[in-house]
Amino acid sequence: MTANSSSRAAEPSEDQQQAGRREVFQYALRRFGVYLFTLWAAITVAFFIFRLVPGDPMNILLGNLTRAEGRQRDAEAAEAIIAHYRQIFGMDEPLPLQYVNYLRKAVLGGLDLGPSFVEYPAQTKDLVFRRMPWTIGIFTTSVLLAWIVGTGLGALIGWLQRSRLSKLAVVISTLLQITPVYLVALGLIIYVGYTWRILPAGGPYARHLQPEWTWEFISSLLTHAVLPMLSNMIVIGAGFTLGMRALMISVLGEDYLTFARAKGLSPFTILKDYAFRNALIPQVTALAIIVGATLNGTFIIEVLFQLPGLGTLFVQAMGLRDFNTMQAVVLFSIFAVLTLTLVVDLALPLLDPRIRRTA
Amino acid sequence: MPALLEIRGLSAGLQGRRSVTQVVSNVDLDVRSGEILGVVGESGCGKSTLATAIMRLLVPPQVLQSGSMTLRLNKGSSYDLVKLSESELRELRWRHLSYIPQGSMNSLNPVLRVERQMTDTLIQHGLSDKEARSRAIAALELVNLEPKILYSYPHELSGGMRQRVIIAAAVSMRPALIVADELTTALDVVTQRQILQELIGIRDELGATIILITHDMGVVAQIADRVAVMYAGKIAELGTVNGIFETPLHPYSQGLIGSIPRESGQRVEGLLGEAPSPWNYPTGCRFHPRCPKVFAHCRAQTPALQVQASDRWAACHLYDAEVAADA
Repeated sequence: MTANSSSRAAEPSEDQQQAGRREVFQYALRRFGVYLFTLWAAITVAFFIFRLVPGDPMNILLGNLTRAEGRQRDAEAAEAIIAHYRQIFGMDEPLPLQYVNYLRKAVLGGLDLGPSFVEYPAQTKDLVFRRMPWTIGIFTTSVLLAWIVGTGLGALIGWLQRSRLSKLAVVISTLLQITPVYLVALGLIIYVGYTWRILPAGGPYARHLQPEWTWEFISSLLTHAVLPMLSNMIVIGAGFTLGMRALMISVLGEDYLTFARAKGLSPFTILKDYAFRNALIPQVTALAIIVGATLNGTFIIEVLFQLPGLGTLFVQAMGLRDFNTMQAVVLFSIFAVLTLTLVVDLALPLLDPRIRRTA
Repeated sequence: MPALLEIRGLSAGLQGRRSVTQVVSNVDLDVRSGEILGVVGESGCGKSTLATAIMRLLVPPQVLQSGSMTLRLNKGSSYDLVKLSESELRELRWRHLSYIPQGSMNSLNPVLRVERQMTDTLIQHGLSDKEARSRAIAALELVNLEPKILYSYPHELSGGMRQRVIIAAAVSMRPALIVADELTTALDVVTQRQILQELIGIRDELGATIILITHDMGVVAQIADRVAVMYAGKIAELGTVNGIFETPLHPYSQGLIGSIPRESGQRVEGLLGEAPSPWNYPTGCRFHPRCPKVFAHCRAQTPALQVQASDRWAACHLYDAEVAADA
C-alpha cells in the first residue's frame, strides 16, 4: 500500500462527519429546552414569592400619597383609592388569574411586565432596560476578566506547585477568596477612594458631566468603573485561581501526563495540550456556576458605589413592595445568567469530545 | 556482546520528611539487546518503581538515590541515564527509549484525537507532519489497527484498542528499548494473548529490546526470554525462562512457580505470609520470615546476587557454599 492511498483510507467518512454534526445539534437543542424551562420556573417562583412578602404595596402607595398631600383621608376614601389602584395594577383578581395574565402579557404582549407601581405609568421593562447596561457592563466584564486572570494564574501556580512563590500565592488567594465582597468594596472606597484619593469611588461618572460621546465623559466613566470592577474581580478572581490550581494539580497526577513526559514532549507542549486543556473543562463549568452565584454580589457593589444599575433599582423597589419592578429585575438577571450559562454549556463540547455523546 | 542496558547499584525510594524509604535496593541488571526480559514480583515489590526509574520518570516524593544505568546504542554511543539532564532525556525518550505505562486505560489524553497524540512527539523529534502521519499509520498496522483510528478520541476506543494505540505510539520511532509496565493487566485473556503476540512480532520486526514488568507468571512464560524475579525491592533470581521454570533456585521463585496451577487434581502450594512493605523490610535476607528453608545466617546477612550456573543468578545463602556449610 502506498503512503498516498493509506492516507486517503484514513479520512473520516461522510457518514461519520454527518453523525457528529447531528450529535452536536441534538445536544444544543436539548440544552435550549432546559434553558426555556428554567426561565419559566424562575418567573413563576419570583411571581409568588414576592407576593408572600409582608406589607401591601397599595398601603405604601397610599401612605406616600398622604405624605405628599399633607392631609388625612377618612377610611372610606382611602378604601376607594386603594381599590382603584388595585384595578389599575390588575390586583383585584384572584392570584392564579393574575399569574396567568402576567405570563400571557409577558410572552404574547412583547415582554409587557406591567407598569411600575412607583413610577406609574412607566413600564418596568423600560426601567430595567435603562439600568441594565450598568449591571451588565460591570458584572460581565469583571467576571470574565477575573476568570481569565484567575485561570491563567491558577494554571501557573498549579504547574509550579512546589515552588515557594506558588505556595505564597495560595495563601494570598485563600485570604482574598474568603473576604466578603462588600468588605473589599468598602476597603477600596475608604482607602483608594477617600484616604488616598487615587480613583473616584462613587457614582457612575463625574457629577458635572452628561452622557455623550466625548473623551472626557468616557474617561470619567472608565475611571469610575475601576473600583467597582476591581472589588468584584479580586474576590471572584481569587476563587478562580484556587479552583484552577486544584484542577491543574489533579490533572498533573493523571496517567496521560506521565505518558506525555515519557514521550519526550517539551514542557510547554505538555502544559498547553495535556495539562491546561484538560483542567480547562471543569474550569469553564465553574465559570457558569460562579456567574449565577456572584450576581447578587454585584448588586451590593452597585449600591455601595451608587451606580444606577439593576441592584439599586431592586433595592428601591423592595422598599415599596413594587412587585412588578422586582419581578422584572429578577427576570432579567435570571435571563442574563441563564444565557451566559447556555453559552458556556454550548462551548463545552468544543473543549471536551466526551460530552458530545453523553449529554 | 555488552548489554544494551546495564543497571548497577540502582536504588530508589520515597522521600519522607527526614529520611528516604528505600523501595528499590541496589539492583544490578543487564538487559541484553533483542531480548524480552520479564520482571516479575508481587504487588509492592518495586517493579513499577524500577520501570519508572529506568525511564527517569520518578516524581516527588519518589527519588532516585544512587546507581548507574548505561544505555549502549548500536552507533556506539552510550549514555548514563542517571546523569542525563531533563532536556537530554527528552531527546532520548521515544527515539531510543520508550514506555508503555501501567494503567494504559488512562494514558491517552481524553481531549485530543489519537492522531495528535501519536504525531506530536514525532514532530517534536524532527519529523515532518507527513512523515509523522505515515509513521503513525505504519505503527498502527503493526498492532493490527486500521488507520482510521487516528481520527478517534480515546473514549471511542475499547480497552484493547487503547492499549494497542499506546503500543503503536511507543514503537513509532523504532526505539532500541521499550519498558512495558503491566502491559496486559486490565485486559481479558483473549485480547491479552493477541497483544502479547503482537509484542513478539514487534520485537522480531524492529529488533527492539523489551523489559516487561508484570505480576503474571503466565505472561512471562508466554513471551519472555529471561526473567528477573523481584522480591521486596531486590532481585532474588535471574535466569532464562526455561531454567527458572524448570529448576527455580531461590525459595521465593520456588514458591512462585509452585503456586501456578499445573495439572488437574494437583493442589496448588501457596507461599505463606505476605510481602513486606518498604517501611518494614526485614534485615538480612528480606525473604527470611516467609522462607521455608530459613537458617540463622539468613536473619543477619544479606545475600548477594551471585552466579549459580550458566546464565543464572540467585541471591540466596543456600547456594553460598561456606555459609551453607556452617548451618
